[in-house]
Amino acid sequence: LHAMNTVVAQLQRRFQDYLVSLYQQGFLDNQFTELRKLQDEGTPDFVAEVVSLFFDDCSKLINSMSRSLERPENVDFKQVDSGVHQLKGSSSSVGARRVKNVCISFKECCDVQNREGCLRCLQQVDYEYKMLKTKLQDLFNLEQQIVQAGGAIPQVNIN
Amino acid sequence: MLAGNAPGLQHPNSNSILRGLIITLAYDDVNRTVTKRLLEKLGCEVTAVSSGFECLSALSNVEMPYRVVILDLQMPKMDGFEVAMKIRKFYGYHWPLIIALTASTEDHVRERCLQMGVNGMIQKPVLLHVMDSELRRAL
Repeated sequence: LHAMNTVVAQLQRRFQDYLVSLYQQGFLDNQFTELRKLQDEGTPDFVAEVVSLFFDDCSKLINSMSRSLERPENVDFKQVDSGVHQLKGSSSSVGARRVKNVCISFKECCDVQNREGCLRCLQQVDYEYKMLKTKLQDLFNLEQQIVQAGGAIPQVNIN
Repeated sequence: MLAGNAPGLQHPNSNSILRGLIITLAYDDVNRTVTKRLLEKLGCEVTAVSSGFECLSALSNVEMPYRVVILDLQMPKMDGFEVAMKIRKFYGYHWPLIIALTASTEDHVRERCLQMGVNGMIQKPVLLHVMDSELRRAL
């Protein structure tokens, strides 16, 4: 029993450290904390489900914006702007801080109809969401290990 | 007025002022899912819709005593203001309550909301305690 408790404690510690590091490195902001508050025993997969929806959104929006930016002589900046706006909104709602920040620059490029700038931002937003996806997958894996070892997911306070 | 130390953040009881039906309208899945869960966490029964039409249809159902519509103003394919206007046109200014969610801090948005008969506004991204206090204020 003691050995099991140690395993759980170690896993919890790893989880906590990892989550804190994601905030410290700017991947996540306070809105992710808010999201975690909405999860409970009745809805244990809530956060995972929401971020999954978010990453699906990212993929779809990036694809459609990419199409709009494809031909230099015929860029639909209105469509791109609409995509950025949506992406900014949903990244903001889930606490995906880096993705949201790229969207701010992205919008500026869109406003001045800078295709090159938009393409750079598009590439960056693609990179950032995929990076976050990997990080969160690691986090959820740690969560699962804790649960499987019979432990509880720690409440983590981010300062 | 309300019992409990962390009002609305504990398990809802029969005295909870927030028990009641709410419609939440947002275009995208992420925002709709988050807002719905947030409201449920506060003890509300929620119907989540993704179009003005669905919203108006839900309101016309006399068997469901909706009290509040949470309306996301920033929707790419529909105008949130238009939905608010239609709600007021069909149902008048006293029911349902409309609370708008907006990412904008501009005054003209606030003014337009008041003109449309919106009863409250919340800045996005929505925080649990902010939704809590805004609903209590409005209800």
